[in-house]
Amino acid sequence: MSQSVSLSLFSILKSHTTKEEMEWLDSIPKMHLESVMTAFVKAPRHLSKTIIQTPIGIGDLIPEVPGFTVQDWNLVRLSRVWLLSFFAQLPKEQLVQKIETLFDTAELNELVALFSALPILPYPDVWLPRATDAVRSNMGFVFDSIALCNPYPFFHFPELAWNQLVLKTIFNSKPIALIYGISQRKNKNLSESIFDFIRERWAAGRDIPSNVWLLVSPYISETHLPFLKRLFLSQKEEDVMAASLLCSESSLEPIQDLFNEHPKYKDEIQKGKWNWSNFMTVC
Amino acid sequence: MCDQNSSTNNPSHFENQNTSKEIPTHVDLRWDEYKESIKGFKFFDPHIHMVSRTTDDYQNMAQAGIVAVIEPAFWVGQPRTGLSSFKDYYSSLVGWERFRSSQFGIKHYCTIGLNSREANNERLAEEVMEILPLYIYKEGVVGIGEIGFDDQTDLEEKYYRLQLELAKEAKLPVQIHTPHRDKKRGTERSMAIALEHGLDPSWVVVDHNNEETVKSVLDQGFYAAFTIYPFTKMGNKRMVSIVEEYGSERIMINSSADWGISDPLAIPKTAALMVSRGISHEVIRKVTYENAIEAFAKSGQLDVSDFENGFSADPSDKFHGNSVLRGGQQPKWNQNSLFID
Repeated sequence: MSQSVSLSLFSILKSHTTKEEMEWLDSIPKMHLESVMTAFVKAPRHLSKTIIQTPIGIGDLIPEVPGFTVQDWNLVRLSRVWLLSFFAQLPKEQLVQKIETLFDTAELNELVALFSALPILPYPDVWLPRATDAVRSNMGFVFDSIALCNPYPFFHFPELAWNQLVLKTIFNSKPIALIYGISQRKNKNLSESIFDFIRERWAAGRDIPSNVWLLVSPYISETHLPFLKRLFLSQKEEDVMAASLLCSESSLEPIQDLFNEHPKYKDEIQKGKWNWSNFMTVC
Repeated sequence: MCDQNSSTNNPSHFENQNTSKEIPTHVDLRWDEYKESIKGFKFFDPHIHMVSRTTDDYQNMAQAGIVAVIEPAFWVGQPRTGLSSFKDYYSSLVGWERFRSSQFGIKHYCTIGLNSREANNERLAEEVMEILPLYIYKEGVVGIGEIGFDDQTDLEEKYYRLQLELAKEAKLPVQIHTPHRDKKRGTERSMAIALEHGLDPSWVVVDHNNEETVKSVLDQGFYAAFTIYPFTKMGNKRMVSIVEEYGSERIMINSSADWGISDPLAIPKTAALMVSRGISHEVIRKVTYENAIEAFAKSGQLDVSDFENGFSADPSDKFHGNSVLRGGQQPKWNQNSLFID
């Protein structure tokens, strides 16, 4: 896989670099590990922060790595991930030691590149503790690099870690729509945590994003009627829409009764005009 | 190897070596007493150890006009026992601390190096030298520092020389710490070695100067930095006299504020004192702002446009969501209020 990843990334690099930048990238001795590591650190001294625009569809960049995208990265980040792809051919022990050293010594932007590279690095389980630590990070960029538009958590996080990632994204008011695979990994434990979270938010007089309700949709029961009633009374039209969608997905009688009391979107939902995708811009 | 815990051989950073009674020369000024006199000034503190300061300090520094700082790697007060401690420390200088600073509108740079005290732990020093290349090339690292002599041992000299070579190779300025004891000899020795290694003195900032060292440092073409630090280093009344005598060329002022009894507002206070003594605004601007920028911009890592006109500390800025300003906190809040909402 490593060679095709390197080639794919290099072709994008090429279309975003100046002659001088490409000369520097060419001059790095790729087989000399220490030089590659220093180049990883030095990259901003030789490269601009040109924003990467790729015509390839999101998630289709590297067929073996669904969901992997470099869209809107800057050139330094992309070149760092490209440099890391050269480590993929190393024996496991050596690869892990080098990548761990880079993690240990990384500053914020380097961490972003390292976490961005996780989907293309071999031995995915080795990086799990690093990745779950990144979710705990207080540095917004670092958190974003693992949580948003990164397929690694979807494929490799256990449920508890996945749920923490989603909850922290909501807590930090970041867009859950950018979590790769968010709709596919709904689960009961997550829905319970979200209901608790909503109670706390409401108690403090604070708002929650309307699309969060998507995550609890399969788990609505009669006990959640008070939530739905309050949502229907919200001044935000999206909240009313979310409550309507939740009701539309439940066959429970009391919930259907409530839906009938607030039929504003009922017809349109049944005709397929509205669904959860209206709330989500997929990464 | 020197005993780092022995106060006889290696006293602490702020221990007074002079047994005679010394009158503190640091001037106590309340913000209300001097804020008008420095209105409109921007300050750059090229030597401050924010890792040992509080967030309140950042608020006060921003209020007093400090727009950017350089944090040199230093001895944190307790000897480190392993390489991981160094890695964590260096990482905090380029990571968390820079980020915390940004939340208060202060641009944070750093210099990276193995400090002289810990150069005496040879096993650890060797390990640190191996990882230094992974730090000195990082964005916002504006020099190698603070390096030089403390006890003036052979090991200190060995690692000082190695780091001068590293600075040359990386094309980075050097920030030299001059020793507390036997300062004059240590300063001369530091400069002679730097010249012996072929460093351009205009790329070298010699720090912690005093009346005894300033002339030679300037005459040889180095930058002369002065630390306004109560009891042990330079007082700001003495500093004003030095500026009056030597002018503003290649002179800069810093606070070196750290875990000792020190003052992160040393520069604004000294500027206020200069104003009161009739020193021109142009001279004040050079020694409290421009000269430091001129010296460290040689690294290619310092761009005045990053801070000259201030920058956003908007907590809703998604560029840096963080826990300093949790949940939309503002950079300033009323600490006198009974209610904490």
